[in-house]
Amino acid sequence: MKKLINNPKNVVHEMLLGLSYSNSEIKYIQEYEVIARKNKKEKVGLVSGGGSGHEPAHAGYVGEGMLDAAVAGNVFASPSPDRIICGIEEADSGKGVLLIVKNYSGDIMNFELAMDLANDEGKNVEMVIVKDDVATQDDEDYKNTGRRGIAGTVFVHKVAGAEAERGSNIKEVKRVAQKAIDNVRTMGLRLTGCTIPEVGDTASVLSKNEIEIGMGIHGEPGVEKIKIQEAKKLVRILIDKIISDIDYENRKVAMMVNGMGGTPLMEMYIVCKEAKEYLDELEIRVEKIYVGNFMTSIEMSGCSISLLRLDDELENLLYQPCKALAFKEV
Amino acid sequence: MSLKLTVSQYIEYFYRASNIINQNKEYITQLDLKTGDGDHWINLNKGFSELLSKAKQWGDITFSEMMKNTGMILMSKVGGSSGVLYGSAYIEASKLDINDNYIDEIDILNILKTQLEAIMKRGKTKVGDKTMVDSLHQGIIEFEKKLNSKSNLVDAFNALSEGARRGMESTKDMKASKGRASYQNNKGLGELDPGAVTMYYQIDALAKTCKEAYKN
Repeated sequence: MKKLINNPKNVVHEMLLGLSYSNSEIKYIQEYEVIARKNKKEKVGLVSGGGSGHEPAHAGYVGEGMLDAAVAGNVFASPSPDRIICGIEEADSGKGVLLIVKNYSGDIMNFELAMDLANDEGKNVEMVIVKDDVATQDDEDYKNTGRRGIAGTVFVHKVAGAEAERGSNIKEVKRVAQKAIDNVRTMGLRLTGCTIPEVGDTASVLSKNEIEIGMGIHGEPGVEKIKIQEAKKLVRILIDKIISDIDYENRKVAMMVNGMGGTPLMEMYIVCKEAKEYLDELEIRVEKIYVGNFMTSIEMSGCSISLLRLDDELENLLYQPCKALAFKEV
Repeated sequence: MSLKLTVSQYIEYFYRASNIINQNKEYITQLDLKTGDGDHWINLNKGFSELLSKAKQWGDITFSEMMKNTGMILMSKVGGSSGVLYGSAYIEASKLDINDNYIDEIDILNILKTQLEAIMKRGKTKVGDKTMVDSLHQGIIEFEKKLNSKSNLVDAFNALSEGARRGMESTKDMKASKGRASYQNNKGLGELDPGAVTMYYQIDALAKTCKEAYKN
């Protein structure tokens, strides 16, 4: 393992310290590893979080127009409820708090318990669950946790953040968050694995010319392993899977091309070009494009494509100003 | 004659449980590496160590306060999925209407039932999913049967432990539908669930603690 770190045990804390030094509008509550906005505004509070290793998620999305607090767990492990409660308290201005959680059993359990405990104390906390990864399916037979939440989560942060900033009540904020969840789908591929600092090197799961379609953001197994091909072909595999899940015909969309942490921007832009041209061909109207590292898996190389179906409401919320470190909109 | 277990006697059970967990580091870790990511023992041991060091400073507290404190510590120090499940179990039990200073065997049964419900609800788990639930559930069934048939209490506590052991062993032939083992092709078939094993250790420790308190 070759990493620019000090002690594997301290990566989360040291990263959050560095992040807080680089953004004067946020504060870092060390005891609970929570990043929160310095200036509390009277509005619905938004809290997200989860395991670390997905930077800039989630702490990079704290800021005006987006989240009020982000709660960090250890690398790829859910934060515990006491930390989440700290995030809730930071975000709470008396107008209620909405938790935006990705669909993993550990995250759900910990956020739900925190929500129950906070509500027992008289707070008004609600929760939405993001499940955008079309590589996985919701299983009604109860055989797994269901569809995973990945990069589409960032869109949910953005639209809910904009709605909350307007002064809407928690019901409205939750409604638009759920609307974004219902309208966003994501599919990814990877060229390499990733190394968890505390675990160190593990055997590579992919051979030299192999890539994997539909992996999870913690390196969970994907749908299939195939030979590396031209970007054009791979992008079409991802998009075909997305558009077969919900109907995108004649719809306006926002597209996110997300690097997984180890992908050169050059390659991300090539993916963007191929995706835009393919969507044009399919007569799906791309209104807005985001390219960058939004929801990563440490140093994994690969990408995911998210397509958010837009109506006037979601489009308007997407364009509202946002000052989060990792998501500036002016 | 009923059991009369005080708060400090109940806390003895944490020492006993922590000891047996501590002694089985290699076994638990190896078991967990076969189906999970190998950190179950580390996390659980961390949680119990913290619990024991905090318990020393509690002084005079009620059953309910002790349960709530225990839940909060396990929740934050064990972490991940196990932590939140143990945490929920103790926090729910703290809401029961029980005597501040001592409990009897019926309270033990009610606490265990409440804990089982809390774990199943929080984990969205049922019996037969190859989890800690299987040990706890079978222990409760056999304990309750003995209590209902007015068996002597030593037999009842033995049945609690025996039932939990049987529940643990039954996970060997189960397929996991929760946690990381559920993503494996064979879903952990043929291996004991490490969470069921450590749950058995705890129930066995509780049964022994109760037996000792009853005999004295």
